[in-house]
Amino acid sequence: MNKNKVNVSQLSLLLLLVITGGKFLSLPSILAKDVGHDSWLVLCVAFLWDAVGLCFVLWAVKLNKNRLGLDDILNVTLSRLGSKLVLAIFFVMFMCRILVLLDSCYNTFAVTFDVNTNWVLFMLPIVAVGAFAISRGFNSVARTAQILFAVIFLSIVALLVYPLTQAKFSQLLPVGEAGLGKIVGTAFVRSFWFSDYVFIYFVLEDIKPQKHLFAPMLSSFTVGVVFTVLLNAVFVALFGSVAQYGNIAMSKIGMFSVAESTDGRWDWITLSVWLTSVVIKIVIFIFCAYKCVEKIFALHFGKANYLVLVAMAAILLVPMFVPVNVFLNSFVRWCLVPFAVVQYLLPLCMPIFTKIANGKQMQT
Amino acid sequence: MRHSGIFLLFLCKNLGMNYFEQLKKLYDNQDDFLHREIAGGKKVHVVSLDTMCDGTKTCQFVLQPLAYLKDVQSADNLLQQLLIGANAKEEPNFDCVVQDFLNGYTLVFVEGEDACISVDTRIALGRSVAEPPTSMVMRGPREGFVEDIKSNITLLRKRLKTPKLKFVNISIGNYTNTAVSVCYLQDVADKTLVQNVVQRLQSVSIDGILDSSYLARYLDVENTFLFRRVGTTEKPDIVVGKMLEGRIAVLVDGSPMVLTLPYLYIEDLQSPGDYYENSVMTGVNRVLRFVSVVASVLLPSLFVCLQMYNYQIIPLKFLITVLNATQSIPFSPLSEMLMVIIIFDILREANLRMPSAVGITLSLVGAIVLGDAAVNAGLIGAPAVMIGALSGIGLFAMPDNTLILSLLRLTITFIGGIMGIMGVMLSILLVMFYLASLETYKTPFLAPFAPDISNDRQDAVFQKGLPDQKKRPRSIPHGNDTRRGA
Repeated sequence: MNKNKVNVSQLSLLLLLVITGGKFLSLPSILAKDVGHDSWLVLCVAFLWDAVGLCFVLWAVKLNKNRLGLDDILNVTLSRLGSKLVLAIFFVMFMCRILVLLDSCYNTFAVTFDVNTNWVLFMLPIVAVGAFAISRGFNSVARTAQILFAVIFLSIVALLVYPLTQAKFSQLLPVGEAGLGKIVGTAFVRSFWFSDYVFIYFVLEDIKPQKHLFAPMLSSFTVGVVFTVLLNAVFVALFGSVAQYGNIAMSKIGMFSVAESTDGRWDWITLSVWLTSVVIKIVIFIFCAYKCVEKIFALHFGKANYLVLVAMAAILLVPMFVPVNVFLNSFVRWCLVPFAVVQYLLPLCMPIFTKIANGKQMQT
Repeated sequence: MRHSGIFLLFLCKNLGMNYFEQLKKLYDNQDDFLHREIAGGKKVHVVSLDTMCDGTKTCQFVLQPLAYLKDVQSADNLLQQLLIGANAKEEPNFDCVVQDFLNGYTLVFVEGEDACISVDTRIALGRSVAEPPTSMVMRGPREGFVEDIKSNITLLRKRLKTPKLKFVNISIGNYTNTAVSVCYLQDVADKTLVQNVVQRLQSVSIDGILDSSYLARYLDVENTFLFRRVGTTEKPDIVVGKMLEGRIAVLVDGSPMVLTLPYLYIEDLQSPGDYYENSVMTGVNRVLRFVSVVASVLLPSLFVCLQMYNYQIIPLKFLITVLNATQSIPFSPLSEMLMVIIIFDILREANLRMPSAVGITLSLVGAIVLGDAAVNAGLIGAPAVMIGALSGIGLFAMPDNTLILSLLRLTITFIGGIMGIMGVMLSILLVMFYLASLETYKTPFLAPFAPDISNDRQDAVFQKGLPDQKKRPRSIPHGNDTRRGA
């Protein structure tokens, strides 16, 4: 039995969860700092690029009749060295994303929930859950997402409904004040936070061939985009010029869900439920990073390889030495171009690469 | 021991002994070995085990007819003319002869012939069919399986009057030689699945099978250590219902618990009475069961985390009540809750083992003396007792999984007490990943929700009306998709 097998409906739900998970933590305040009340426009532009990239990746999935993996396709088209280089970039990108997401979660728990845990004690259990998911197969993550999806989605809606009525959307006016150039530029500079669909590359060979692919995937992408943009807009509309100082957006929005403070912060429960999607996203990225190692070294680990996982956990100790915002503004900025290559250029080439690789596979 | 028996048989065969002599040699010094020699033409030997045979049946079916014996030609002749037992057959194989003999058949040997006639004279031991104590229903059939496999097969045949009902009989256990029957509906059950199950059972090598639960462990392909992977029921109507969906039943002699497989987690939510109630009420009951189980597992851990780390979530008035009740408690909320859960589990375990009359006293002592005294003494807070008791009672909404759920409850509470809400969240995810990854006999454990199989949701939580349930569940491999008009 292939433990990583995933069908289109599971894939589309995962896509929705990874789009919404993680974007309501520190990103809204970062964008508010960059472009003020036009941050929602940055999201729109970034998601537009993502939509194009996603369409091309889905096209590649359709063309991948022989169920080839990303490494198989890249080995044929970009040579073994090129393939390893692309996978190495992916690995670095996933590790950076895991780091940033973990840091955001850590802040949420440490700041919002007043649980001042040590970084190692916080990070290790999540990596352990990721390792367990790897040992059980990607299919277990996809199925879990199917079960938890409704609860997570309801928690987002519950957190959004009441603040939506209190938001002063006039705060978003005038639209486009920051200027198109700055908005597009910010979308590129912050592109690291987007293109979550890239996880599809690592289950390319495991997607069950089904008739409908584009419709469910694009629908869930659209729903995810609408919710993300809406939440960002509500956050800025609620906090106006101080939005840039509100680090954990979802937690700050949640404050508006509670009518009376004596009723208890029930929004923290919904926030915790939503944080499950962030953990699922981290688990998916751990899986992808692990797959990168597997493919770079052309190995196939039967179960989770603990050596690789320990090495990954060791990399995730970075915040003990360098603050994550410093890391984001230095290392991630240097890597922006290589990341953009795999995020935006590779998807555009994927259909051609897939066609060539499949053609060669047929010949052999 | 077994090897010495085989060696003896080998020796007997090589010494030119016939079946009767071999059998006599095997049971020579046994007090319950009965042997009677009747002369009439050729000599006839009647052999039986006194402790396993019904003497009246032996007299009626074997000895009385043999009294009229004048000239015996052969065993065939004897079978055709004289023996009137309902189940009399010629047994040419010595292993089968020994098996029949041990099961209480009376054996008739004709001198000079190897083969013998075995006549069913088994003693009818065991209780009669009654309502099973583990699955009582308000409505619906009240018959339950018993320890005798033959009676259990009768209960199934009574409900499935079709030649398509098939049984594959296997004998398992080196010493117990327990009769096991794999039961399925031809054309409905998947052939590969049947073969798979039969092969698994045939490969079981064990000294003895004392209950069907022994086999359940062998049939669990993934060796699951937490959740049960094979269904068990004591009710024939439930087994028939499951077989009509394409499942396979495994009956074991000596056990009233019949195994059914493949097994889905959702079956734990379903109760035998669900199928005889209004479908709306069934849906409501199932939701109630699910909510009570989730609350039972998570309530203690959430209570501990909220008290220890995130008390802001608790409404102010409730928080004041909790603080008033717990301010003089010398233990941390985690140790307090663990204590309550462990005491509850000890009481439950003790209650199960006690005779029913003492059980009531024990419950009273547990509830009043222990609980009330502990609260009054200021050792445990009243809210913790309330949450612990509520959670303990809720576990019984899924009676078959009480122990597993209790263990989960304890573990999650412990993790929640150490790591707060994040610990609870990660524990839930871990359990979900584990459950979602389980798949045996091509059946995902969490179907029809993960993977989502819309057809199978007709009888998952909310039940469609019976006339609308036209297709068999797709999560279970089967040979015929249509329930009606097939």
